[in-house]
Amino acid sequence: MTEAQIVEALLDFIATDGASDDEFNALALQIFAYQFENNAPYQRFCRQRERTPRTAQNWRDIPAVPINGYKDLTLSCCDPKNAERTFMTSGTTKDGVRGKCHHPTLSVYDTSMVTAFRQRFMQEHNKLRMGILFPTEETMPNSSLAHYLALALSEFGTEGSCYLLSENGLDSDLLFAELDRAEKTGEPYALLGASFSFVHVMDEMERLGKIVSLPEGSRILDTGGFKGQSRELELNAFYDLLESRLGVPRKQCINMYGMTELSTEFYDWGNPTCPSVKSGPHWIRSQIVNPLTGEELPKGDKGVLAHCDLAHFNCVSSILTEDAGIEVDNGFLLLGRAEGAEAKGCSMAVDEFLKAAQG
Amino acid sequence: MELKAGYLPGIKADNVDWQTLTYDRGGQAIDVSVPLLSEEQMKDLSARIKEASQQYLKSLTVSDITATIDAAVARLLDRKDTYRQQSEEYLPLITGYDAEMIRLGLTGYLKNFRQPELRRFIAEDFMNPKILDEFQPLPKGGYGKAYGPDLIAHIWAGNVPGLPLWSLISGLLVKAGNIGKVASAEPLMASWFARLIAEIDPELGKCLAVVWWKGGDVDQEQALLNQADLVVAYGNNDTLQQIRDRTPITTRCLTYSHKVSFGMISRAALDTGKAWEVAHQAAYDIVRYDQQGCYSPHVFFIEQGGAVTPQEFAQFIANELDCFEEKFPRRALTIEEAGDVAAWRQSEEMKSFSEGNAAIMSGASGAWIVAYSEAEEDLVPSGLNRTAKIIAVNQLDDVPARIAPYKAFLQTVGIAGPPEELHRLAGLLGAVGVTRISALEHMTSPEAGWHHDGRFNLLDLVTMTEVERSAETAAEAYSNYVD
Repeated sequence: MTEAQIVEALLDFIATDGASDDEFNALALQIFAYQFENNAPYQRFCRQRERTPRTAQNWRDIPAVPINGYKDLTLSCCDPKNAERTFMTSGTTKDGVRGKCHHPTLSVYDTSMVTAFRQRFMQEHNKLRMGILFPTEETMPNSSLAHYLALALSEFGTEGSCYLLSENGLDSDLLFAELDRAEKTGEPYALLGASFSFVHVMDEMERLGKIVSLPEGSRILDTGGFKGQSRELELNAFYDLLESRLGVPRKQCINMYGMTELSTEFYDWGNPTCPSVKSGPHWIRSQIVNPLTGEELPKGDKGVLAHCDLAHFNCVSSILTEDAGIEVDNGFLLLGRAEGAEAKGCSMAVDEFLKAAQG
Repeated sequence: MELKAGYLPGIKADNVDWQTLTYDRGGQAIDVSVPLLSEEQMKDLSARIKEASQQYLKSLTVSDITATIDAAVARLLDRKDTYRQQSEEYLPLITGYDAEMIRLGLTGYLKNFRQPELRRFIAEDFMNPKILDEFQPLPKGGYGKAYGPDLIAHIWAGNVPGLPLWSLISGLLVKAGNIGKVASAEPLMASWFARLIAEIDPELGKCLAVVWWKGGDVDQEQALLNQADLVVAYGNNDTLQQIRDRTPITTRCLTYSHKVSFGMISRAALDTGKAWEVAHQAAYDIVRYDQQGCYSPHVFFIEQGGAVTPQEFAQFIANELDCFEEKFPRRALTIEEAGDVAAWRQSEEMKSFSEGNAAIMSGASGAWIVAYSEAEEDLVPSGLNRTAKIIAVNQLDDVPARIAPYKAFLQTVGIAGPPEELHRLAGLLGAVGVTRISALEHMTSPEAGWHHDGRFNLLDLVTMTEVERSAETAAEAYSNYVD
């Protein structure tokens, strides 16, 4: 298949209401064959794992690239020079090297985002007045999250929706003006952004002793965790705080789980209890695997999440994350980053060695 | 049968808060109760151990003590003895290690603590062992006697069965009272040993205790550290730093941190007749306790120019690891351990994509992994749990310079090579911080009396009281026979 054919097939696939196992498999294997043929480093990786399109019968057979692979390998079917956009990982690990995801066209990414966002976040609303707690796309052209939020604003934001971060950080005057306005007018309001930005908002509100009660129908979307950018909060405490400071019930606080290495996002149905059940649309499927053998674990066992995202057609669709999870009915529980084992013996482990050797 | 860890002389079991640790290493799940003392109980226990050590242990001769330890070890070696039987039954369930590997390992290990070996232990550190019993003339003049502390706090780590016995027995040999804190990973062996000692000599049994608290529980730890005269601690650098920081300034704190060990194979050992045996020995060192020991090899430097090339030798090791997997299967890994092995394999895989002759060999389901490289790579630990890096080098003499930056982390080097090379390399390796050189196949079983991390097992524990020549001479002036 050519790139144009893949794109067309994907747009059709996303537009349907759902997909059977066979339909998902068929497209997944076609895309795998496309990536295997057009992406030499991925082909080497697959051969190392003794897997080719010939021997893959099911999407589960497609070799999942560890996300660290993006830092060492150029994983792209198109010439990166011809990419419409390149998203880069945050580069928090491995000597600050940033992995790159090239998108020859954003049409699939955008369709994927818009379709799932409408179902999972907007729900009964067509448009909402929005405030974005994240830098603009212009400020961060390589951030997939900046693009995601810009898209949310342009597609689903009413006139008057705006960014609430300025160059100097949180624009609290604007934020509080927006919150007060929503409270006064009764128009539902949506606050979207990085989880750590919400912590900054909560801290600022606490400092000022401010509490607001956003109108019914208001909602919150947070994503990405705290990543050392704010104080770490236990999830229940975090959502309690959002509920008590902003008056948005935990049920209306949606957490989005996405990553640069994907073109599709996962959502929960609110966070009345944590950890919430996450799930994605019909063009992405996930497995909980043993990271060493790649074998899928029985439902209920803790393992590492592996995703097969058809929409990420140009790079690799199947990735092995570093996120721990458990499969449950209708999705999975996300348990945060998979930690290394605590050394059991007196033999030194790699992480400890590197830390010690760097002094 | 209810399994209880810990040994608490003078404390009624009913008065202790028992917690349950559950072990499920892919086979039969098993519960072990461990005692959690209050700060007050820890303080009382310390006081009693100190007193028993002063009153009883210090009055024994070293020979008395070695005889009791020998009797205890004899029972642990006797396959008809109940202690031995429960070791063989339960330690595999607790640690997940293959039962046969544990059985053989225990025997090989415990043999180090029979009476002749204990004497060797003492002789390694004390030219005149009687110095532990009474004042002895010193070469410089005067007299001296070595005193063990009244209370040593041992903070053990790790899941290699029996390792706590090294420091516990060392403590007893210098007549110290001992309280050992067992690791959750293997709380039983030290507890059983303490009970055995008490069965053989009930009075000696009052001079030692085995306790537990959850790693990182500051209050429990502090309660013991405050009472100890000497602290011996094992663990990673962060843990040890915290223990040292919490140890009162007047209390000595001996720390044993995690280490990296490796092997070196000379081209002389790589002829077609010998190479298979060498690979077998190297693989054995990797397999034994799944590289959890500080003496376990992570890397092998293989010299080029032999009849068997380093690349072929890597294949040999891979083959031997595969055979060992049949004989002594690796224990089931937790998801976190599997993640570490996977991360190591991934990083080696990525490197191999850009290096011509590099290769990754792996057993079914990643039961073992060998990564081969000809690049100028530094010493980095492997992913543990039967993963090893094989690095080709032009000559073994180049290796010491490459490992020199890691002086603080080095321990054992297993060498296969001819005598002159062994001795030349020993000089070079010692200079960059290696503290132990052994034959392959012996890396994980140090001989009796070895100097752990280059230190003195017994000498480091004692303080000397010296009667100087001047005191002797001056005393003469006050004797009743003075002229």
